Formats: sequence, C-alpha cells, structure tokens
Amino acid sequence: MTDPQLWLSVLEIGSFFGLIALAYQLTLIGAGFFNFAIGPYAMVAALGASWLTIEAKIPVVISLLLGLLIAVVVSGLTELLVVRQVQKRSGSGELPALVAVTAVLFIVQQGAGTVFGRPALPGQMLVSFGPWQFGEIYLAGTTVVLVASTAVIFLLVSLWMKLSRTGRLLRAVGDNRSAATLLGLPVGRIRLVAFLLAGLIAGIAGLLYAPKTGVAFTSGLSWTLVGFLALVIGGTGRTWAPLVGGLVLGAIQVFAPFYFGSFGPTTMVLLIALLFFAFRPQGLFSTRVRI
Amino acid sequence: MTSIAPTLDAPRRRTAQRQFIVPLAAVAIAALALSWASGSGFRQDLLVMVAVYALIALGMYIPFVMAGSMSMAYAAYAAIGAYSVAIVTTETSLPPLLGWLIGPLISAAVAVVLSLLTRRLSGFYLAAVTLLFSLAFEPWLIELEPITGGSAGIGGIPSPTIFGWEAPRIVLIAIALALVIVVATLVERIRTGAWGVTVRTMRDVPSAVEAMGTRTTTLTTVTLAIGAAVASLAGALFVSFMLSITPETFTLSIVFMALFVPLIGGQASAWGCVIGAIIVIQLTANMPSEFEGSGQLVLALGVLLILLVAPAGLIGYAKAFIAWLKRSVRKARS
Repeated sequence: MTDPQLWLSVLEIGSFFGLIALAYQLTLIGAGFFNFAIGPYAMVAALGASWLTIEAKIPVVISLLLGLLIAVVVSGLTELLVVRQVQKRSGSGELPALVAVTAVLFIVQQGAGTVFGRPALPGQMLVSFGPWQFGEIYLAGTTVVLVASTAVIFLLVSLWMKLSRTGRLLRAVGDNRSAATLLGLPVGRIRLVAFLLAGLIAGIAGLLYAPKTGVAFTSGLSWTLVGFLALVIGGTGRTWAPLVGGLVLGAIQVFAPFYFGSFGPTTMVLLIALLFFAFRPQGLFSTRVRI
Repeated sequence: MTSIAPTLDAPRRRTAQRQFIVPLAAVAIAALALSWASGSGFRQDLLVMVAVYALIALGMYIPFVMAGSMSMAYAAYAAIGAYSVAIVTTETSLPPLLGWLIGPLISAAVAVVLSLLTRRLSGFYLAAVTLLFSLAFEPWLIELEPITGGSAGIGGIPSPTIFGWEAPRIVLIAIALALVIVVATLVERIRTGAWGVTVRTMRDVPSAVEAMGTRTTTLTTVTLAIGAAVASLAGALFVSFMLSITPETFTLSIVFMALFVPLIGGQASAWGCVIGAIIVIQLTANMPSEFEGSGQLVLALGVLLILLVAPAGLIGYAKAFIAWLKRSVRKARS
C-alpha cells in the first residue's frame, strides 16, 4: 500500500463514487428514499455528450452542456412525474417509490441505449492537458479535473446546505417532513430543487469520469450500485460523509485485489458493510436530530 | 392504508370456491401452453423461463409483497439452487432430487443469517446487505473453481430422469408447470390463512402485531427464509432444463426484473406472479428481433404506468371487470 500511483487512483475513483453518493444523499434528504436512478442520470449525461460530439458532430462545449441538461431534466421529471405521483397514491411507504425508481432506472438505461446506440463510447473532454510525470507518478489531466471539481462541488454543497435559505429548508425537510409540512414550508418545491441538484451533480460526475473508462448504456446500473455502497459506508449525517465513503470504497476497490485476489473487492465491501451494520449502522458520520 | 396493500378477505365461502377454480383454470391454461409448445424447442424454452421467473417472483411474494421487506439476494438464491442440483448430479452418484432439497435449505439458511444481521435496523439495510451479498456471490462462484467449475461453470449435466425413465422434454415441462401451479396455490393458501393475515398486518401496522405478542423481527426472518427457499427452486428448475450453469446466469438484473413481476400481474394474489412472469418473458425474450432490447423499455414503461394508473395490476382490472359484469347481469335480471 505504498505505491503513490495507486493512491492517486484511489483518489480519482473515490472522488467519482463520492459525487454519485452525494447525489443520492440529496434525494435521500429531500424525498426520504434511495433514488436508484442516480447512476443512469450520470450515464445519460456522459453517453449523451459523447454521442452528440461523435455522431452529431456538435462542438464539445455544447454537447457537454446538453448532456448535463439531459441529466437535470430527467432527474426533475423523475420527481414530478413519478415519485411525487406514486407517493401521493400510495402514501409515504418507501417500497412503491423504490419500485418506481427501479423502473426509471431501466427506462433511462434502455432509452439511452435506443437513442444513443448500444456500443460503448469514449468520454469527451473540454480541453485535454497533461499527462505529467512526477518521479514515479503519472498524472493524467482528467484526474486533476475530476478531483478538483469534486472538492469544489463538496465545498459548494456544504456551504449551500449551511448558509443558503433553500439549503436550510432542505435540511429541515430531511429532519422532519411532517413538521416541515405543518410549518407551511414549501416541501414540494424544495424536493424538486434537491432532485435537480442531484441530477446536476450526477451528470457532472458522469461527464468527468467517462474519459477514464468510457461509457455505455449499461454503466448506469453499476454506477448506481457503487454510489449506494459509498453512501452506506459514509453514512448520511454530514455533507462530507459521502466523500469519505467514496474514498474508503475506492481504497477497497484498488487495494483488495492485491491482497485477496479477485475474491477481494465485493467480499471486502460486504464484510465492511456487515461490520458497520452490526456496530455503527448510522455510517461513519451521523447526526442526532433533536425533536 | 397503502393502495397496494392487501385487501382483507372476502367472505370465507367465496374464498373456498376460488381455491379450486383458479388452480383448475391454471391447469387448463398450462395444458394449452403445452400443446402450443410441443414440437418447438424455442417455445419450450420460453415456458421454462416463464416457470423460472414465476418461481423467483413467488419467492419474493411472501417477504416482499406480503411482509414488505425488500431483499435483493434472489439471484444468489436461484444460483445456489442451480449449483446444488448441478453439483449433486455431476459430482456424486446421489439422486438429483437431493440437490433440489439441499439448495432451498442452504438458501433459507443464508437468508436467516442476512436477516438476523439486520433485524434491528430499518428495511433499507436488509436491501443493502442482500444486494452486497448478491454482488459478492458471483466472484465466490468463480474463485471456488474445484467445486463450481470457475467462470466456465458446470456443463454437460445429464437430463433428469423419472425413476430411470428418460421422459420426453414435454413431459418434464409439464412437471415444471405443475410445480409452479402447486407453489402458487400454496402461496395463495398461505396468503389467505391466519399466518398470512398476520404477516400482511405486520407490513402495514407492525406495532399492532407486536402488541398481540408476535415478534415482528422473527416473523420477518421466517418470511425471508421461505422466500429464499422458493426462489432457490427456480434455479434448480432452470438447470434441470438448460443443463448448464455459469456464474453469469443469474445476475442482479434478474432481481430488478423480478421486482416488477408481481406488480404487473397484480399484487392482490399470488397468481399475479405467474401472470406477470408470462408478460415479462413475452416482452423480454419473445420479441421479434427488430425490437430487441426494447422489451425491457416497454416493460419498465408499463410498470410505471401500472404504478401511476392502476396499482392493482392486471388482476385488479380483471376483478373490476368481473364486478362490473355481475352488476350489469343483476340489473338486467331485475
């Protein structure tokens, strides 16, 4: 575990996992359930941008923005047309909403496969720079952009949650929905904001990570799973918790194969999750809500 | 309380009638399906897949629809059932039926362990742990090569025989469909029985069940174990017909698909799982080649539509139609 190059890739994929988990956390706070469609939002942004650049010959800047727009719109529509309606019909129980977003997951995946084609596409970059070499470390430009953007996004989101009016309202809704409704807070609008923001963050994560691995319509499900795991490890108590969870998960994914063979990553995650659930089910970081 | 919650029983007398009518109708439909499939290997495979999906969905029915606990490990349970039969038939000289027994027992044991680990936590943690177990299970199958055949899996499994008689495939499929009908009938019996009512009440008002002196955590564990055992049968069935199994056969996407099955058919009855399985297979496996892959899209859109417009599924529509028919007949008489 002394090779700095490996730690660099921990940082890189950890940042990506953290961003996806942050998007999960925002919808979890806003709507009170796990939005399994987060991975597909990231996928559709990346795949859409790549397709627009490569097949439709649209300039990279515009197609990246369009990709982001698709993710944000799809996320907003999920809340307005699906989650809100289903919860209105079937009460606040989480299972109907979960089944509904699972359906959204398949719709976005297969819809993206139908529109943008099924083969994997390389990710697009706005400007390409690097790679640089420092001693033994080989640093790619995409890594720098991904890690720096992650830091900025987490900083902005935590400031927004602390200082802005909407952010504080979102926390109020997350802490106690019925009390927020009783107080006359605009719960519906705040939930929508949470979903739009989650779509935006997931879209950015997808766009920044796609240059490293490429993107196909099936990436959505696997990204959904890793983000979920990062959130499980990190917990939901603090805005920074998803990033810590993402980095821990990244470290497991990078180092476990060295020590445990191909058995490693998922089994390690399972064991860690079981340990957490047994001793610290609220994750690494948690808050106690005073009622 | 919730709109897809079970409705309380119709009067006992009508339930007793239905106990015979529905399974008999299912037998008749199965007979029709068999004559439709005789002579076409592809159609026979479709019937096998319907049976497999129906069994997985029936396994999910008691814990998921009735008790409201979402486990995501059903792909792993099906794989356990499949590997049990495969290993028993290829590695030992024991009867394959033993594999059919061992698989469900192992699956139920795994389900109990996973459930006990999360019993004090909310339902989401069960989903997380079982999802992780499903993910971790596939590498285990690959790594345990001496037992499971690694990533190549186990092939060349001899076709099952009935006391030494090499039955034609259509007879075996008839047995498979019969198994589905028996399991669906049993699950439906459980649903309407006293135990089933307790389980369904636990889903909506757990405190009431707890107050009556029933441990809800224990009850949840039992439902999960039953579900795992039933889903395991699906894997055993699959391997008995396809005669090979690899670690990639039962993937997570099957779990997500199986979440849809009871919803499409209708959650009010266990038979909804069977109806839903027929529709899912029609949409995903039996589509003309130019629509390949769009079946999942249609399916997911259909699920959303059902959730938004008709939470009772196809059975709900059928019931409403029968009620309307009865009313109009009564009106016409008077």
